[in-house]
Amino acid sequence: MSKFISNFLYIASGATLTLKILAGSILIGLSLGVLFSILRRHKICKAVVCGVVSVIRGTPTMLQISIVYFTLPSLFGFNLGILATGIIALGINSAAYVSEILRAGIESLPKGQFEAAYTLGVPSFYMWKDIILPQVVMNIFPALINETVTLLKETALIATIGGMDIMRKSQVIAAEKYEYFTPLCTAAFVYYVLVLLIEFMGKKVERKRLYAKNL
Amino acid sequence: MLKICNVSKYFNDVKVLDEISLHVTRASIVGLAGHSGSGKSTLLRCIQGLETPESGHVDCCGKIGFMFQDFQLFPHMTVLRNLVYAPTLKKKTNKMQSIAKAEALLNDLGINEKKDAYPESLSGGQKQRVALARSLMIDPDVMVCDEPTSGLDIATTNDVSALLKRVNKLNVTIIVASHDLDFLIKLCDRIVLLKFGKITTEVSPSQHAETSLLLKSFYDSISN
Repeated sequence: MSKFISNFLYIASGATLTLKILAGSILIGLSLGVLFSILRRHKICKAVVCGVVSVIRGTPTMLQISIVYFTLPSLFGFNLGILATGIIALGINSAAYVSEILRAGIESLPKGQFEAAYTLGVPSFYMWKDIILPQVVMNIFPALINETVTLLKETALIATIGGMDIMRKSQVIAAEKYEYFTPLCTAAFVYYVLVLLIEFMGKKVERKRLYAKNL
Repeated sequence: MLKICNVSKYFNDVKVLDEISLHVTRASIVGLAGHSGSGKSTLLRCIQGLETPESGHVDCCGKIGFMFQDFQLFPHMTVLRNLVYAPTLKKKTNKMQSIAKAEALLNDLGINEKKDAYPESLSGGQKQRVALARSLMIDPDVMVCDEPTSGLDIATTNDVSALLKRVNKLNVTIIVASHDLDFLIKLCDRIVLLKFGKITTEVSPSQHAETSLLLKSFYDSISN
């Protein structure tokens, strides 16, 4: 029993790396995603941004992680740690999906909201910051939570380059006695608890915003 | 104040405005009437700069306030914030003064008790009045109103009419498109009639006692 608990704690401790990568990649994903979705409304940038988004969405995440981890050192002459690789690769990957979610959200807004801002003389920066994005984020919030859950599960790919996350730690325990069932189920349990936590927090924020709106 | 010179506008191959020319003098109230699809809203959008005409040009000396037919209030902002948001973006503007001005406007329109409500919880008439108040907050020289009384009851229509007259007294030029002929007759100095993107005739309610009959026969001629 004590072995089971110590194994459980060992696997669960992998959540530290998982959550660090998740937090970092959410930050990059959201920032770049917003930038992509705004840039793709400009004629000149549109083709470039659409191309980048298409390539990112059209290639496997594991391949992207491998490119960042194995090829950047030879191309640019510096080594990236596993944490930085995870954050950069998954952040850029997430940015492509976030930009698509945002694009759908922006397109679902009435054109009149942009026109109303224009007629009131609201500068472009404030229009995006105060008028468009708050409405878009409100509308796409469930989709963003979904993207966060997907991202959390994709962090498991970091195990392929040796990241000691939940997945890798469960594999280490499994490899000790070639007994896979318990460690993998433990990893699944830890991931599932984290997903439930994200969904719970997401719903709480959503409810709070809806409540504030309907006061 | 406002010169519209030979303005033409196409949507795909459809000519929506056909060489429209119109001169509007300062502090006058001009009404646009015509059947649905006659080009009233497009002309107003060209005046505001929301549409670019294929030919011709619009010259306006002064700030234009625009009231949308479907209000376009910002749904995530309270009524008061909808009104004060744009004016307070300018550094010179005093926020307290803006709030006081917004509250006075809302009072005039009888919806001050809704200042902390979100647009979602307002009725159509209340939204309309908020939209009108918001466009007045930027101190426009020309006020462009697209169907400001659609969906309003008679009493509220009269309130809107009285408010626009009061605004006009402050030297603000008003251009208003509406299907409500009685509203236009009571409010406007000139009524311009549009048919298939062209100005067909103009009437002046103060000079033509039979304006109502003229407008009625114009609408009858369209339906025939």
